[in-house]
Amino acid sequence: MTQTAARGAARHLADSRLFLPAVALGLILLFDLVFVPGFFSIEVKDGHLYGSLIDILRNSAPTVILAIGMTLVIATGGIDLSVGAVMAISASVACILIDPRIIGVSLSGNINAVVGDPGYSFVPMPVVILVPLAVAALCGLWNGMLVAVGRIQPMVATLVLMIAGRGIAQLITNSIKIIIFNDTFAFLGNGFLIVPFSLFVVAGLFTATWLLTRRTALGLFIESVGVSSRSSLFSGINERRVKLFAYAFCGFCAGVAGLVAVSSIRTSDANQIGLYTELDAILAVVIGGTLMSGGRFSLLGSVLGGLIIQATTTSMYAVGVAASAITAVKAVVVIMVILLYSQQTQDAIRSLGRRYLGREAA
Amino acid sequence: MITAEGAAQARFRVDRKFMPLGATIGLFLLTYAAGILAFPAMRDGQAFFNLFNTTSFLLISVVGETLVILTGGIDLSVSGVLALTTVSTAVLLRAGWDPLLVIPLMLLMGVMIGAVMGFFITYLKVQPFIATLAGMWFARGMCYVISDAEVRIYHPAWKLLSGTRILIPGLADPVAKTGDYVTVLVVVAVLVLVAGLFLAHYTRFGRTIYAIGGNAGANEVSARLMGLPVNRTKMGVYMINGFCSALAGLAYSVYVGSGHGTHATGFELTVIAAVVIGGTALTGGEGYLIGSLFGVLITALIQSLIQFNGQLSSWWTSIVIGGLMLLFIGVQGLLTRGARSRGRASPATGARRRRLRRRRFLLGAVAGIAVFVVIGYGGLGIGRAGPSGSGGSATTECAIKPFRQDQAKTLAAGGAVVVYERNGGSGCIDELFAIYPDGKVTGDNGASQVMAQLSADQVGTLVKDITGLGWFTDKMYTTSHTPCAQCYTYFTSVTGDGKTKNVQAVDGGTDAPANYWLVTGELSAILPKFEAAP
Repeated sequence: MTQTAARGAARHLADSRLFLPAVALGLILLFDLVFVPGFFSIEVKDGHLYGSLIDILRNSAPTVILAIGMTLVIATGGIDLSVGAVMAISASVACILIDPRIIGVSLSGNINAVVGDPGYSFVPMPVVILVPLAVAALCGLWNGMLVAVGRIQPMVATLVLMIAGRGIAQLITNSIKIIIFNDTFAFLGNGFLIVPFSLFVVAGLFTATWLLTRRTALGLFIESVGVSSRSSLFSGINERRVKLFAYAFCGFCAGVAGLVAVSSIRTSDANQIGLYTELDAILAVVIGGTLMSGGRFSLLGSVLGGLIIQATTTSMYAVGVAASAITAVKAVVVIMVILLYSQQTQDAIRSLGRRYLGREAA
Repeated sequence: MITAEGAAQARFRVDRKFMPLGATIGLFLLTYAAGILAFPAMRDGQAFFNLFNTTSFLLISVVGETLVILTGGIDLSVSGVLALTTVSTAVLLRAGWDPLLVIPLMLLMGVMIGAVMGFFITYLKVQPFIATLAGMWFARGMCYVISDAEVRIYHPAWKLLSGTRILIPGLADPVAKTGDYVTVLVVVAVLVLVAGLFLAHYTRFGRTIYAIGGNAGANEVSARLMGLPVNRTKMGVYMINGFCSALAGLAYSVYVGSGHGTHATGFELTVIAAVVIGGTALTGGEGYLIGSLFGVLITALIQSLIQFNGQLSSWWTSIVIGGLMLLFIGVQGLLTRGARSRGRASPATGARRRRLRRRRFLLGAVAGIAVFVVIGYGGLGIGRAGPSGSGGSATTECAIKPFRQDQAKTLAAGGAVVVYERNGGSGCIDELFAIYPDGKVTGDNGASQVMAQLSADQVGTLVKDITGLGWFTDKMYTTSHTPCAQCYTYFTSVTGDGKTKNVQAVDGGTDAPANYWLVTGELSAILPKFEAAP
């Protein structure tokens, strides 16, 4: 009796969407435990926590933030390729608001004293944060318009902004790297409140999104649009509005990720900020168990997916793989994960499991 | 009843099929005409052939990608495979391998990578997007495993391939060896295009490609039910694209003369954009290879127009290309939607109204973008004609003045850390600036002088940027760029780390050093402006 219950629980666990990502993360950490001495040590310096685990959490912040937004878009059956470019746009807007000399605004007083001042910002800090987020959400809304109203295939619709977006970001800053001296702004990506401040941003965004999708009907709407946009329409769900929301929210998340990224490197590098991150974000969502075809989604799975990607990268650094060769390793991990998730493998595992469990029961 | 109306409709539908292609070709001709009106230098035949000379590798890659997209797939790995080919080629040649061995080996490598990705996509049902993404990452990562640093190619065969000019019969003087020319790479690219056209339109393989793509995967199912070799064809398409990527990589290594993992970053987007602008639907099944040729030409044309203009930031290229993509997607959306609504039985009124509203939205969007494009072209022309003050249409052609090297040397000897000359451009300017360590800046345009005062820190940052951004190399950059008379030429002399380096470069020169634009952007932001001549 108890054995059956335990087996049932085990099967329930194995069928859970979070099972595979959790196992994958566990495997990577196990690898670190065996091969990287001191990987799990965490030091306390000046009241801050330091260590490889903290590094993983901190460096995964932009990817995880993107993945949260991307989850909703993918759950509606879409995809957003433009998040990297939107990150760059939001970063450029923030920098231009702090230091607008590039666009011809003359700052009063001795320019270098003003701009070198760690408290200086041309507009108040809340504006510096909110305007880029609004711009990013508008970019997302534009994608949503193309997809939901224009009925353009999501990959194509968002490809437009992916190509044009980086150009727009360069135009905003006149393709000059603006260096940010403002310490308040830099706190977003560099600051510490015992743990890195960006973790609070991630946690806040995750909680808000979770509440929004799981404590209201919105999550259900998104999933139903993803399963069949037509049936949702017939059952009275305004699928267009749901899609618009998903894309705008994804843009907003990209804006947040852009702010975190630019504040941690303190330079508006429109060429590099968010480069190829859209791929990381999509991968994180896929690893997290949300299907690219849409439907059921798992926010926690996507967060785990982001952590898996970053944990792989950090572990590879730790064992001494060259930074530039990381992508090759990442590709191998992607392939392994995808093979693990593929229907064929899943079927094989399930039939094996059934045979084993079945024989035991008999 | 059926005959008359049906035949009319059928004829109309055939016309619709060619509309995206017609739009692409029309856009190219229109843009070219606008370019000729705005920039007299574009009337030079070489300006046309340079569209090919600068994009041979893009054309090669686009052929393969078009075939992939026609099957309803996508291949993001092109830039990765291209970079991997450049690195492997450079390293093997450095190790003394024979080019006759290296070239087939590289092509084989491309085919193999394509085969692996094709296997994942076809048999393991991995999404093309994900599988080829992994392929790109793998290839890019392998570049750095092979070599972290850029490897230059000194092999005589590569020099020969890049240096040989094939003169255009009738437009060149074969005895004096001057006149309009294309490079060897262009010939290779055109051969690949011809092979692709043959494959797509005159073989069973090509027919199967068209049968697989489109209709959100439903066509693939029907093709399978019809007994077409779907799996084999899909594998074949990815292998062909792998071949094309590797060949494009070889062409790229000839074009830039080196191999490195950062070569052609984001190239896959350019390729996909060229295919879409060429009128191929990303959903597959619809489109023509010949359209992709014009997609490539439009991309090259936009780039060269922005260079000819000389005032627009090069970043406008990506924005204009993004806008054009949207335009073409809109056109295709309108066409397929129109065809579909006519094909179906009369739908419920609500759905019809929605469809109508959607069409109106698309029409509005397309019209809006068309207006944007027209204004953009107008802006190109006006921006060009304005500063020269010649009243609009007629534009004076500037001869590039010789660099005032003696004067520059005197200034450098007088303690200037940066001597910077800007020559040509739309205003026919010739400005020589000197920047001193204490922040003093002097400028001389032959008629008047200007002065400005920066802070010493700013000068320090500038010199650090110039030296730190890979601009402080031993190579002297001398490029002549005949058709682009309105381009700026720059001469810069920088002193830092106790050494003096001279850099001479021209807009659009392919051998401009890394981050050249960053530094010229930084320079033009801090240099004083001359008063406009009365």
